[in-house]
Amino acid sequence: MTTPRTFRTLASALVLLSLGLGPVAVAGNVKGTVRLPEALRAGRQHQGYWRLENGNVPVRSAPSKSQSVVVLDGISGTHPPPAKTVTVEISGLDAQPRVVVIGPGSVVEFKNVGKVTHELSTPANTTLMPIERLNPGTFRHQKFGAPGGYVVRCSQYPHLAISVLVVESPFFAMPDEKGAFSIPGAPDTKAKLKVWSQGRWVHEQDIDASSKQDLTIRVAAPKNAKESESKEADSKDSDSSISGADSKASAE
Amino acid sequence: MFLSKIWFILVAMLAGVAFSVALTAPRPMAQKLEELEGQRLDRAQYAAEQMLKVDAHKWIDRVANLGRDAVISEGLDSASKGSGELSVQHKTLQARLRALLPDLGGAGISTIAAIDGNGRAVARVGDDEKDYGDSIGGAEVISDALRGYLSDDVWGTGGHLSRVAAAPVLSKSRDRVVGALYVAAETGAQFADRLKKNLDVDVALLLMGKVVASTVDSNILSNLPELVSQHRAEIDEMKRTPALSIDVGDETYLAVAAPFPGQAGEQQGYYVLVGKKPAKADLGSVLANTTARDLKWGSFPWLPLVGSLLALMAIGLLLQRFEVESPMARLRTELRRLSRGEIGKLDDHRFGGHFGGIARDVNSALEHVGLQGSAPIGLATGMPGAAGALGIAGDAPMPGSAFADTGFGAGSAGGMVPPPPPGFAPPPAAGFVPPPPPGFPTTGGARPGSRAPAFPQAPGMSPSVPTFPSTPPLPGAAFGAPGSAAAADGDDEEQHVQTVYDEFIALKQQCGESVAGLTMDKFRLRLQENRNSLMARHACRTVRFSVYVKDGKASLRATPVK
Repeated sequence: MTTPRTFRTLASALVLLSLGLGPVAVAGNVKGTVRLPEALRAGRQHQGYWRLENGNVPVRSAPSKSQSVVVLDGISGTHPPPAKTVTVEISGLDAQPRVVVIGPGSVVEFKNVGKVTHELSTPANTTLMPIERLNPGTFRHQKFGAPGGYVVRCSQYPHLAISVLVVESPFFAMPDEKGAFSIPGAPDTKAKLKVWSQGRWVHEQDIDASSKQDLTIRVAAPKNAKESESKEADSKDSDSSISGADSKASAE
Repeated sequence: MFLSKIWFILVAMLAGVAFSVALTAPRPMAQKLEELEGQRLDRAQYAAEQMLKVDAHKWIDRVANLGRDAVISEGLDSASKGSGELSVQHKTLQARLRALLPDLGGAGISTIAAIDGNGRAVARVGDDEKDYGDSIGGAEVISDALRGYLSDDVWGTGGHLSRVAAAPVLSKSRDRVVGALYVAAETGAQFADRLKKNLDVDVALLLMGKVVASTVDSNILSNLPELVSQHRAEIDEMKRTPALSIDVGDETYLAVAAPFPGQAGEQQGYYVLVGKKPAKADLGSVLANTTARDLKWGSFPWLPLVGSLLALMAIGLLLQRFEVESPMARLRTELRRLSRGEIGKLDDHRFGGHFGGIARDVNSALEHVGLQGSAPIGLATGMPGAAGALGIAGDAPMPGSAFADTGFGAGSAGGMVPPPPPGFAPPPAAGFVPPPPPGFPTTGGARPGSRAPAFPQAPGMSPSVPTFPSTPPLPGAAFGAPGSAAAADGDDEEQHVQTVYDEFIALKQQCGESVAGLTMDKFRLRLQENRNSLMARHACRTVRFSVYVKDGKASLRATPVK
């Protein structure tokens, strides 16, 4: 009697282990390239009437490395990144870094090291982070609890926008200047790949990480990009599932 | 009166249509004017957009030209490399910028700055010109310039709008970007005034829900930011709003708002073109806005209006005369003739419509009275002037009630009752006294068989009321035989009238009636009229009258004599 009972217990444990932890145990890299449309690659959100090349010197490309994030979401059995404090320094009418990816409960410290006063807020959710003056040499702490994408913007200099992504998945990466990305340790399972760029989710697609193929993510040109970021951020306060990409993608 | 009625209806309808037109015509006109004003604002907005675009290009060209200056290029190149003292480079570049742009205000420039390749402001002229060394390379327009772009933007910082243009500054060898120049143009009251001057509409500039500059009264603009913000969805989609109505007291304005490009668009930076809405469309407002110039001969169609009114009145009066006044005059004439006994009845065929009906009614009444037999003659028919003819109305019984016919239709309408055949003796009416027997002495030699006047006892009359059986023979010749020349004799007639008058007076007094005003002349005239009328109607030789009592009153009865 003892032998069969022990055997059954062991067998059940193995089955449970294979079902629950199996995908996580087998890990690999998810890599590919994000192809952004010109509107997102331009490196400028607010266009004037004219933008002309000088005709003598080739125009340098925009520093897009820090502007986009690829996130794998919808993977069960994973734990979000641990809460931590990240500092964003604001100087010279710019912020470094421009994109922050953190786990729920993390705190972002906005530090004004420049000479200009800023007024930071999350325009899409002013109750989360109401507008407040940030004088030179001062800082402001803001905790982000609910998963989602947030844009912290200066009302005086709207181009100064800091993207704060609160993710539940530890699998994310920032593409380089050519758009290449690699997410190490991703489990061989189906997942939802999402792309954040210029303050909004611009792409979302289901992938099979076990295929080991290089992904080419083609992001379509955004429509009404200014407002969509706000609406998405609103929805994420109450719903951890991220959606809303309005573009189509092809996986290679 | 048919035509008159039709004309009245037509005129009423015409007046109704005219009034309706007067009430409704201003409305579509006002709507059209409002639409035109909206279109004018649309065109002005398009022109403003083009103006802003041209301005932006002008500023870009300007900073690009300044960036070609060798001193600026060398200074920025040096600053970018970090060689040399920044303060010296600041002074050098600032002096050079001042030399190149001696009159910033006249050029509409609020600030011009030289930025090195690292994004540091090396020199400024204009606002904050003492500051240097701070980094502003994060601004999109400057970042773009340092990458090699010439571009523009609109900023909304510190509650002020600034149109900004930036261009890269190339090295002397023109093979690399060593820095940038940016210029900020005044975008406040002067800009609003310039827009108004060029576009002929009022302008307001909004930023972050506040009016930062305008050419119109602040009362008009108090609700403008909120009104515009309510149309943000349309602005995002169409880059402008439709014409928005702004009610200020009794006035209404139209406004078209469009966003500034660049960062200001993110900061609710709008330029709003304001026009006055045309006057209201109700009749009161239209009249209130009518001026003396509108009523001048050249502006208002007085002649057609007055001519039309006169024509309408003339046609109406003509129809009135044709259908009412003329037939009425003819009817009155006929009635007078009838009352004078010149005609026996009205010729109703001569009258149309209601007047024909009246004529027929008169004839019917005459006929009815004639058929009644004892009905009073003449005056009882209500013929005009009958009462006045005798002149005893009021103080004496109505003559019509006093006179009675002879009982065989003498007093009826002429022709309605055929005259009796020759020798016909109609049956006497109640109280009729047969003619005297042959041999009854008559004046003038009445022939045997002729009817003599009699004064019978009136039916129902009290015995105390005397009759006149013993009345001396009347001028019996008048009753007498046909062809008797004596009957027509004036003396006989006069005597007969006198006799009847005396008897009538006596009988009235006996009946207790007043005889005041009943003179012989009036009595004679009345008898003469009745006699003439009956003679004409019955083609008789003469008429004889007798006196009798009817319903307790003295009455006369006329008897035609053939």
